[in-house]
This record gives sequence, structure tokens and C-alpha cells, in this order.
Amino acid sequence: MAAAECGGGSPAAAAAAAAEFAAAEIEYVSYGGEHHLPLVMSLVDDELSEPYSIFTYRYFVYLWPHLTFLAFHKGKCVGTVVCKMGDHRGTFRGYIAMLVVIKPYEAEESVYANLTSLKSLHFPFLATELVTRSIRVMMESGCEEVTLEAEVTNKGALALYGRLGFIRAKRLYRYYLNGVDAFRLKLLFPRPDPALLSANKDGRHKQHAENSAESSQIYI
Amino acid sequence: MVTNYEGGGGGGGGGGGGGSGGAAPPKSIPSGDDAVWADAAPLIEAACNDLQEGELVHGENFSLFAAMSALEIMDPKMDPGIESSGYCSVDEAIENGIAPVPLSFDRTVDVKHTLDVMDHLLACEATWHNGHSLAQTVFSCIYILRIERTSPHPLLHSYCRVMRATCNAVVSAVSDARTHEEEDLFTMSYGLPLKDGGDDKCLSILNSVEETVSRQLRACKAQPSKKKVLEEFESLQTNPDLEEGYCRAVLCRLRFRKHFYHALTCMRKPQGRGLELARKHIAACLSELDNMFKSLDFLRSHSLYHESAVTSTTASGCRAIGFDVSLNSRLLSPTPPRAVKVLSWIDAVSYFEKLLHYLDTICSFSLDPALESVLHFIVKFQLSQPPLVARAHLQQLLLVHDGKLYGRDSFSDVIARSLALPDVTKDKEFQTNEFVLQLGQLLINLIKILCANTAWQRRKLGKILQDWSVISIQLELALKREFGELLNSSVDESVCMKVSKHLLMWAQEQTYWIASRFLTLGFELQLYSPVNTAWFTGTSRRKGKKKRDHHARDSGRDAVASTYCLLLQCYMCLSEGLAMMLAALRNESNAFQMPNIFNSEQEDVVKHNYFREAQRIAASLKGSFSADPERLAELRLIEQVAEHNRIALNVINQVGAGDPTLRVPLEFTHHNHFVVAVVKRS
Repeated sequence: MAAAECGGGSPAAAAAAAAEFAAAEIEYVSYGGEHHLPLVMSLVDDELSEPYSIFTYRYFVYLWPHLTFLAFHKGKCVGTVVCKMGDHRGTFRGYIAMLVVIKPYEAEESVYANLTSLKSLHFPFLATELVTRSIRVMMESGCEEVTLEAEVTNKGALALYGRLGFIRAKRLYRYYLNGVDAFRLKLLFPRPDPALLSANKDGRHKQHAENSAESSQIYI
Repeated sequence: MVTNYEGGGGGGGGGGGGGSGGAAPPKSIPSGDDAVWADAAPLIEAACNDLQEGELVHGENFSLFAAMSALEIMDPKMDPGIESSGYCSVDEAIENGIAPVPLSFDRTVDVKHTLDVMDHLLACEATWHNGHSLAQTVFSCIYILRIERTSPHPLLHSYCRVMRATCNAVVSAVSDARTHEEEDLFTMSYGLPLKDGGDDKCLSILNSVEETVSRQLRACKAQPSKKKVLEEFESLQTNPDLEEGYCRAVLCRLRFRKHFYHALTCMRKPQGRGLELARKHIAACLSELDNMFKSLDFLRSHSLYHESAVTSTTASGCRAIGFDVSLNSRLLSPTPPRAVKVLSWIDAVSYFEKLLHYLDTICSFSLDPALESVLHFIVKFQLSQPPLVARAHLQQLLLVHDGKLYGRDSFSDVIARSLALPDVTKDKEFQTNEFVLQLGQLLINLIKILCANTAWQRRKLGKILQDWSVISIQLELALKREFGELLNSSVDESVCMKVSKHLLMWAQEQTYWIASRFLTLGFELQLYSPVNTAWFTGTSRRKGKKKRDHHARDSGRDAVASTYCLLLQCYMCLSEGLAMMLAALRNESNAFQMPNIFNSEQEDVVKHNYFREAQRIAASLKGSFSADPERLAELRLIEQVAEHNRIALNVINQVGAGDPTLRVPLEFTHHNHFVVAVVKRS
């Protein structure tokens, strides 16, 4: 198992600075209409082993256009995130369906495969920025949690979502067509009641656990 | 329904009008008596041009959600039928000479090709076991699809018959155990000629072929001069110098098939009656696999074209004839087609070696009637993540159809024995008690779950925890109702009361056991990275606390019932301690590049010393596990982890978590699941 380190400064300061400079040139745009659809589709299609029909894209962008974001660099679409939200067994839940960001210096070569997978990051914060925007909208819309699936081998995606506070709620056996397992990642939003939060340092956990009472829902 | 959108990207089919307005329909589509074909392309094109960007013409019942399941015809990613070798049917492939019988008119070449078919079939079989469909693996073999064609060729025919019978036996064993999630693919055999009434005779056919080849081997070894022509019977093939090598290669493959089929048949015998014999067959299988592996050099050196041994699906390195993966593409389930990569022959042999060792472990099980032994055995078996076929056979052994352990002991008996009270086993009232029956069902369900793949297993364990909790509560209420005030007095307990109390404690203990298994699996499945333990500890601590409070209220309980409870508490203390320590480090420093903007909570630096509590509990548990060396070793590791972390925490507290000279790498140096923090100052 790999060791993780915490404490102290990051050794890759120079790379981080370069990335930040590049990040400033990125324009983030909310899904604006039909003209954005082919951009989203071609980004996702190019890298996907899982097949999506036109209707899959339309389902997401028609019903939740405010949850789809595109990233442009010098007029070229370099990344996109596609999400939805809705009621799921009594919980209002957001779902991140697709997240793709391309490596900008190679001819159209995308490095992401499958839903929400990131194999390597050339703009390390670009994917995070895209996802963060969607999650913000979900939070503001009243979602209680956000979920997605990611390949267990996809260290980039797992690290990205881990930093945002996602936990691994479940493991799904051979979820993908290529036989790889998936983790169901879940982000639980803090409950909006400040009184409960401050009363107990475990406030959020306690709130959730007591709501689920004897049910095992929290484990699902 | 017509869509109209601009721009590129994917999505075949449909689309705007196009092409040939006004062309006549192809002649192959005849018009009827009252109808004529007319070209509708111009009409559709005009309709498309009428639509604005983003508009959609659709029926009333159209829903975008449902439309996501639409398959685009002729899109190779979705339409399995479009990928094709060019042959539309098995018959067409046969007509084109893909699977000749005999495989060659040169007998030596025929034997070589037959061996290649056998090897590729083995590789397909292993590939099937590893998560692909039968249709795209074993049944990609035209010889298997049309077995009757191979009748004039005894060697190939017998091998194919036993192969098919084996697949049938394995499918039925796995079906009985029931599969979950992606393992459902394993048993799918729609449209495949898997069953055949005559297959029970297949072994006798194979035996006679084996006998013939054995004689051929003896004959060629007995001849002083290899060039002497045999008068009694024909040799296996025409080159006398190669006769011994090819005979051996053929024999070990035939024998492996035979023994494997026998082993599976013996294992199916009820009440474990066939286990000892199965072990003999398994040993023979392993020996023949070894012989097969030894034949590798001989076969490779006598074949013309070599694929690398690492990737080749045959021992010889040649491509086997008679296989076509796409022929069954229309039989595949209506999900997008999966690309199948057949395992290499060497990997296939390794897989079967591994599988046989698992099967041998199952056959060596002593069929201990004690529940604890059963659970312990299953957990140990599952540690190395055995393949589906092995797990299914384990479940088959434990829970043969009629809901008795090993098909022999009723679960009421199992529970009675578990309570460690004499005389209860024969008590009819106990056997028919409603709670005992319910608990029996829960046990059966638990065993089934424990034999499943670990990802699915964990989720199910989480769900049944509720069932066990509920029945524990019901038992407690019933106990109080019936015996009320007598419960806490020191008056001699009636037998009935004693049994009820023990039953309650037992149910609670199983509940804790399930909870601890749920926890352990979370680690094995890598759900708990160090950063994630915060979520886990929060929820499970609450759940555990409820149970602890519950338990503590009842005085005078047998301490044995609470060992699992304490072990669970121990793990939780370690996890909580780690989570708190990490949270403190995270909040006070810029350890992670991106601050956690969604879950920011103020975590105080640890006041409660969870590590010390873990050490205390571990020490107190040593007595309870004195007879269990594995558990004792675990407790020692827990103590070490707790000690190291406790010291680390002290240092961090003294120095201050935000000190920039502090470096705290986390390493799994002592325990597989719990990290140890090592404080370094730069």
C-alpha cells in the first residue's frame, strides 16, 4: 500500500506556479445551448470505451443545463463536466456523470477514459475547477450529497475527489466493461442547521447517524 | 422521430435527410399486391429542413431518460451484431472450411491442430471463469457449437463432449449458489447448445480414447527401433520420432479433463460424501497440469510459427483453428459488447492450478459442526479473493439445497450447539421455537452472503445488520415479557429462561461479528484511506455506541458475548484516533494542496486519547482470545500501532501541528489496515 504524507510544504512549487499561471487563461462557461453540445460530445466520445448515444447527452444537458460546465482555453474547448441532480430514495442527490479534460499540448489527445476518470492532469486544477462549479450549484440547489463512480485504478480521479472531501462509500465489482471495479464516491454536505453543528464536534456525523436510526442506509 | 442538430461528434444513425432523393428501392425488396415501395427520403429531408436547431419531433410517450437506453443500430460500440468476421452463421463458417473434420489429412498435422484446439479451449474456459460470457469464449469454438460433426474424430469428439459436460456442471453449480452483479454474466447460456442428454456417456468415450493413446505410447516406447511399423494398431501420428512426445501431450490433456470432471461430480455429492475422492481427482488434475506444462517445450519446438509463449493461447504457439468469436454475437445480452481477450495458455494453466488448490481446500474442510469454525473457515477462504467457481462450490458444500448445514445438520441444531448448553439440542420445543427458526434463516442468509464476492458481500452485510438488530431487540422484549422481574435476581434460573438468555446473547454476538466483518471488509476493499476514516468512525461509532449502551444495561451477562464488541471498539478507537490526528494536522497546516471547501469543520486537537483506550481494550482482550493465535497476533499488532501513534500524537501536540518543520508520513508498517504516523522534523 502506498504511504501518504502530510505536513510541511509541497516540493513541486515551480510546477504549481506554472499551472496557476496557465489556469488564469481558462474561461469557464455554463452550458449555453445547442452550440455547446457537439463540443461536449466530441470531448467525451473521443476517450470513452463506454458508449453514449446522443440521447444520453441530451438527457443531461436539457434537463440540467446549469450543472454542465465547459472550459475554454484560447477559444478551444479543453474540458467539460456533465451532471444531474434529483431525488434518490428520499435524498436530494447530485450525480457527476462525466468529467473530461484534455492534455492541451498534444494534438487533440485526450487522456481521460470513461465517466469521471482522469488519468493525468496537465492543468491540475482545471478538472477540480469544473467539478467544483457543479458541486457549488448542487449545494446551492439544496442537494444533500453528491455521488459518482470512478475506476478503482484511477488514482488521479480518486485523489481529486478525495481532496474535495468525497469518501468511498461502496465498491462495485467489475462495474466497467473492461472488468475493472468501481468505487462509488460520495460527498455529504454539512447539514444547514448551525445550532446542531456547534453543539457537538461530531455534529454532522451524529445528525446523519441519528436520522438513519436503526437503518443501515448510512452504509449504502 | 427526427432530430436535427449541427456539428460533429459521434451519434451515428438518424441525422438529417441525405443522399439519394428519388432513387428506386433495391430490387431485393419486393412490392406486395396492394402496396408499392416509395422513396421517402425527399419528404424526410424537407421535414428536417423545416426544423429549427435543437427541435425534436417525437411521440407522446418519448422520454429522454428512457431514450438513454436506445441502441444506435450499426454503431459497433453498441450493436454487437455489426462486428463480424464476415460469416453470418455457423453454417456459413463451416462451409468456408473454418472448422474442418478431420483437422488435416496429414495425421501428424491433425494431432497438432487437435492439441491446439484443446489448448485454446482451456484458455477460453479460464477466460470465461474470469468474467466473460460462455458465448464469446468456450462456445466460440465451432467444434463445440456443432459437436455431432466431430463424431468421426474420436480424440476431438471425446474432448469436446467432456468439455461441454464440464461447463454444464460448472454453470449449474454456480447457478445454484446464485451470482451477483457482473458475475451474472457467467451463467448466461441463452441459445447455446450447453446441455445434451448424451453427455453422461462422454466419460466412457474419453476413457476408450485414453486407453488407445496409452497403448500407442506403450507401443512406441517398447519398440527397439522406432522405425518399425506397428501391425496391431495405428500410431497416433506418422512421425515415429515424435510419437512419444505427442502421445504424452495428448494423454495429459485428456486425463486433466477427465479428472476435473470427476472432481466436480464428486464435490456435488450430498453431505460431503464425495470429498475424499474429489481430493484424489484434484491431485491427479494438478499432476496432469504439470505434465501439460512440461509438454510446452516439445510442442513449441515442433511447430512452425511461434507466437510468444507469454501471449499464445496454445502450448505450441500456433493459432488454433475452428474458433470464431463473432459468430455468437447475436446471442449476447443486450448490453454493449465487451471485447474479449482470451487468456494466454500459460495463464490459463496457472488459473486452473489456483482454482484446484481452492477446491482442494474446500474438500479438506473437516465439516466441523461448530458454527464458529464454519464462519472462521469462510473468512479465511475469502482472504485471498478466490474466484467465483471456488466460492460457488464452497457455498454448495455448506448449504446444499435443503437448508441444512452440509445437507446434514439443521440450523436449529447448529444454533443449539453454539449456545453451549447441554440437552438443548434434543429439545423439540427449542427446535420449533419461532425465534430459533428465524435465526436459522438469518444464518443461512449470512452464510450465502459470506460466500459472495467481497464488494457485494459488504453491502449486504450492512443491510442484514438491521435484521439481526431487530431480532435481538425482539428477543430481549420477549425475554422481559416472559420473565420480567426474575431476570436480575439470583434465584435459580429455569431452563427456559437460561436458554432464552443465552439465545439473546448469542444473537447479539453474531450481530457484532457481522459488524466487525463489515468493518474489516471496508479495509480490504480499500474504502478507508486514512483521510476517509473520519466518515467511517463517525457513523459506526454512533452505531456501536448504541449497541454498547444497550449491552451495558444488562448486568450479569456472560463476558464471552462481548469480545467481538470490544474488538470492534478497539478498531474504532484506532480509526477515530487516526482521523482526529489527521484532521488536526490538516487544519493546522497546508498539508493538502486544495483545502477541503465542502467539508470544513473545526476539529479540535485531540483531547480524548483514543490510542490509549485502544491499548487498554487490546490488553483486556488477550485473555478471551488466548486459544486463538491469529487473534492474539492481531491484538499485538493493534497494541503496537496504538503505541506508536500515541507517541506520535504526543510529539505533535507538544510541537504544534502547524509547525512547518514537521513532517508526518503515514505508513502501513505494522498493520495492513491501520497506518502508523512517524513524526520527523526537518
